[in-house]
Amino acid sequence: MSTSPFPKILLTATLVYFSLLTATAAPVAEGPEFFAKQLLPILETAQCRQCHNANGIASRTRLQFPDAEAGAGRIEAFALSLRALIEPSRPDQSLLLRKPTQRIEHTGGQRIVPGGPEEQILLAWINYLARQSPDEAAPSRNDAARPQGKVRRLTHSQYNNTVHDLLADQTLPAGQFPQEDVIHGYRNQIEGQGIPPLLAEAYNRAAERLARNAFRGGDQQSLIPCRPASANDAECRNAFIASFGRNAFRRPLTPEEIDTYGKLFTLGAAEQGEFIEGARIVVETMLQSPSFLFYAEPSPPAALRPYQTASLLSYFLWDTLPDEPLLEAAAAGRLDSGADIEKQIRRMLKDPRARQALNQFLAQWLRFDRVETAVRDRRLYPEFSAELVDSMIEETRLLFNAIVWDGRDFTEFFSAGYGFLDTALARLYDLPPPSAEFQKVVFPADSGRAGILGQATFLTVTSKPADTSPTERGLFVRQHFLCQTVPPPPPGVDTTLPALSDDKPMTVRGRLAVHLSNPACAGCHRLVDGIGFGFERYDAVGRFRNEEIVKIFPTQDELRRKVKTEPSEYKLPIDPSASVYGLPNSDFSSPSELGRYLAQDEGCQRCIVKQLFRYAVGRLENDSDQPSIDAAFKRFRDSRFQLQELIIAVATSESFLGKSKL
Amino acid sequence: MRGIGLAGSAVRVGLPALDAMFNSSGSAYAAGRLAGRKIESRFVFWFNGNGIAEKYWIPQETGAGFAFTPCLQPLAALRDDIHIISGLDSPAARLPGPGNSHYPSMSALLTGRIFTGRGAGGPSIDQLIAKKVGNDSRFRSLQIGVSQESFGESIQQNMSWADRDRPLPPEMIPHRLFDRIFGSKEEHWVQRQKSILDAVRDDAHNLKDRLGSGDKSRLDEYLTSVRDLEKSIAALPPEYQQVVERPPEGGDMRDWPRIAKLQSDLLVHALASGQTRVASYMLTKCQGLSRFPWLGHTSQRHHEYTHGQVETPRGMRILRDICRWHVEEFAYLVAKLKATPEGDGNLLDNTVLLFVHEHAEANAHKNNGLATILAGHAGGVKTGLHTRTTGTVGDLYLTVAEEALEAPIQAFPTAHQKLSWVI
Repeated sequence: MSTSPFPKILLTATLVYFSLLTATAAPVAEGPEFFAKQLLPILETAQCRQCHNANGIASRTRLQFPDAEAGAGRIEAFALSLRALIEPSRPDQSLLLRKPTQRIEHTGGQRIVPGGPEEQILLAWINYLARQSPDEAAPSRNDAARPQGKVRRLTHSQYNNTVHDLLADQTLPAGQFPQEDVIHGYRNQIEGQGIPPLLAEAYNRAAERLARNAFRGGDQQSLIPCRPASANDAECRNAFIASFGRNAFRRPLTPEEIDTYGKLFTLGAAEQGEFIEGARIVVETMLQSPSFLFYAEPSPPAALRPYQTASLLSYFLWDTLPDEPLLEAAAAGRLDSGADIEKQIRRMLKDPRARQALNQFLAQWLRFDRVETAVRDRRLYPEFSAELVDSMIEETRLLFNAIVWDGRDFTEFFSAGYGFLDTALARLYDLPPPSAEFQKVVFPADSGRAGILGQATFLTVTSKPADTSPTERGLFVRQHFLCQTVPPPPPGVDTTLPALSDDKPMTVRGRLAVHLSNPACAGCHRLVDGIGFGFERYDAVGRFRNEEIVKIFPTQDELRRKVKTEPSEYKLPIDPSASVYGLPNSDFSSPSELGRYLAQDEGCQRCIVKQLFRYAVGRLENDSDQPSIDAAFKRFRDSRFQLQELIIAVATSESFLGKSKL
Repeated sequence: MRGIGLAGSAVRVGLPALDAMFNSSGSAYAAGRLAGRKIESRFVFWFNGNGIAEKYWIPQETGAGFAFTPCLQPLAALRDDIHIISGLDSPAARLPGPGNSHYPSMSALLTGRIFTGRGAGGPSIDQLIAKKVGNDSRFRSLQIGVSQESFGESIQQNMSWADRDRPLPPEMIPHRLFDRIFGSKEEHWVQRQKSILDAVRDDAHNLKDRLGSGDKSRLDEYLTSVRDLEKSIAALPPEYQQVVERPPEGGDMRDWPRIAKLQSDLLVHALASGQTRVASYMLTKCQGLSRFPWLGHTSQRHHEYTHGQVETPRGMRILRDICRWHVEEFAYLVAKLKATPEGDGNLLDNTVLLFVHEHAEANAHKNNGLATILAGHAGGVKTGLHTRTTGTVGDLYLTVAEEALEAPIQAFPTAHQKLSWVI
């Protein structure tokens, strides 16, 4: 205690403490440790952090909890920063007190019971903050964060593309690798890019097979740039190692590396007395080298930086290794300035590979994998098939590509009153068949469809086998289009909805009403269900419906007693009125209305930036990325939301390229 | 070809002699030379996603006289080889604050630590054990999986974790698992691989020197993997391939009962031939999405069944069928181990298996009162019982590791005591 930096305050606090002790025994905060010991556990129990974090529902408020693993220094800084939320002259009027007790409207509902012991502890901390000068409470963010990885490992798709470009291999070897896990919504996140033994073995097997295939058959000219005079022709050997190595490692080899690989070559060539055997062992080894599997080290030697830039650009924009012009630009010092880099990006965006690569981003952002593996109850959705799913995905892809590559305003992805339909989708949407498959079709105004939210991919991926799920639909909008995470249900909650009965047949919305009547559920569910209700006119495969058909099957008991043998069917009216809780004037009742709203919403526009950023950089954004993200958003907005401009902004940002003198 | 060791490697990669291991028909392992030698204990950590329907799973009676519930029925013939343990708490599932989802439950179950937001918070129990007992084996541990149907997140796909956020993915394709464990290689190939991996390692060291700590650990992981790979590429005597049949590459790769049995067969061979002492077996994924055509339940997936219609008798019967299938596959492995002679007894005598789920009652995401099955006899664990406890999964892990497997892990995050009634 004697080491406290606030001796005077401590004295005052102690006096107050003793005087209060005799009266009410209210707790008193004597120093910053009070927060961590007394108040923080209460706030955690109240689940404040679940919404008040950098990507939470409440990310746009002034209260943001630090990372759950923050150290003591960071927690103290956070504790003191709460001074911004108090009224020093009238502590009991502080937002920090009135919000969680729901004395004023709080989106998260009542989290702390007014008048209870928890509130006393909160008030004690507010009183403490009120006694601090603003300087003392100034937030400091110098707490060391957990070291973050920067080096990128080839994704499975990049591996396939790379060995295709390098060795003309068509076998897609990464299909045999252990699956990539999804982290932060993507499969390319650095945190998931370790090399556990199973993957190391898979690389090992693939390298062996690729190296064997590379020297099978006639055309080895492309790999070996010379005609060897002997099995261990030193000149030709070194020329091969240098040229193949430069392509495989996407940079020139050092003399030491040429020497090391030369020895290995000699070993291989000597065994069989053949040059090609030497080349084979070199290829097999290089394909397992970290210089092949990884790229983008945080502080590369100066000579390597332009090559690293080349790799970063080509793996982001093309999903494969750099082409010759890019490597030449790196060699010639034409990949150092921002202007030079942008020139290359513009060239690369014109290449068809850019479309393919960006489709990867789209597929992961919108979880096409989950559309592809969706299951539907055949009795209810007989038209649902793998072919229909393909059509759905194609529709989304075509809209995305039409907007991006025709230079249209990307917010149209949410508001476009047109789509690209084939016959099957037109039938599903109850529209006349298009003149040709996947022709552009303008939606009739009363269809309620616009942009991604009216598309079958979105409406399907957020539904259950038999029913729609307003909860899932709301969650998807929050997470994927507003970049907000929603807390999980509290423990011990029975998530079962009321059973359907002939006494009182109910719509999905009616059954979900329990979420909103139970205070333990309402806080979060109105945030998500409240959005999802707006899609209720579209069933679990995205077909329009005027009424909800509810089928109630006979129970075992009813069957036994023969009181009911066939399912009963009810046609119930649908109430699609909805809103995005927490956003002003967001009432809507159709996908097109919400789409138009999101297209105009800065939170959604910024979310597009964040999503592309996470994919491009391979990790979640942090504080130090804010300048890069802000600059990218500004350029995106100033270009009237051209996604190509956003790509350029992200690909030229410091967060993406690493710190350097651009 | 006995006990091939790699030159320069301190670890002897031992492969027991074939003639000592198999009987004349090649269908089973025989006592032979291994008899009399103290046989090593083995550990299998078995996981099954989503949780259970408690009323069909947990026996009502405790002690020796418990009646088999519908879900446990497949183990009825193995009563004296199993110990049903219910009521285990998994306190880390409720940290940092109240919450209730598969992710924190999974991390807490496997590691006793808080979910990181990406993956498990530390090493899983099988890896802690492998670090103590697995270093002399060809594979320190094996990760085996069956059903691939999953939402795809890292915490859902993996049950073995080398460390915080470092998953060890399971091999889910039988013929690839076979190639890994029993693929036969020539001496010359082994030497060539060694040269290649030496060069790879040099490259990795060069790069590692230039990196910061966040990336260094990933290069270290690769270096460890390369070392593990070097250890495991030792040549196998060709006879192994005659005894252990290579699973077919074709067939229905979503027929989980078929895949499960192929994987179990391979695991038994791997344990019997001493190639590993520790394995994890992930029958289905955390929050798994398996479909069950062989049970006649195809309209939904497992996770949906656990929430969708549990209020109806039919919905509950579906959950009963599903959890019975899980136990059926587990019983297959236990019976197979028991049918494999080793020393004077059988392989099950020297093995402990632990069958866990991330939740007890699946619909409620209940993360306390977990129900597990302990099977096998290594270390003399007590069997033939149902025990209701208030201990933690950590207590059970610590007891099993130190008392049954002689793996001195010393501590586990949620362990406070050893459970005296286990041994």
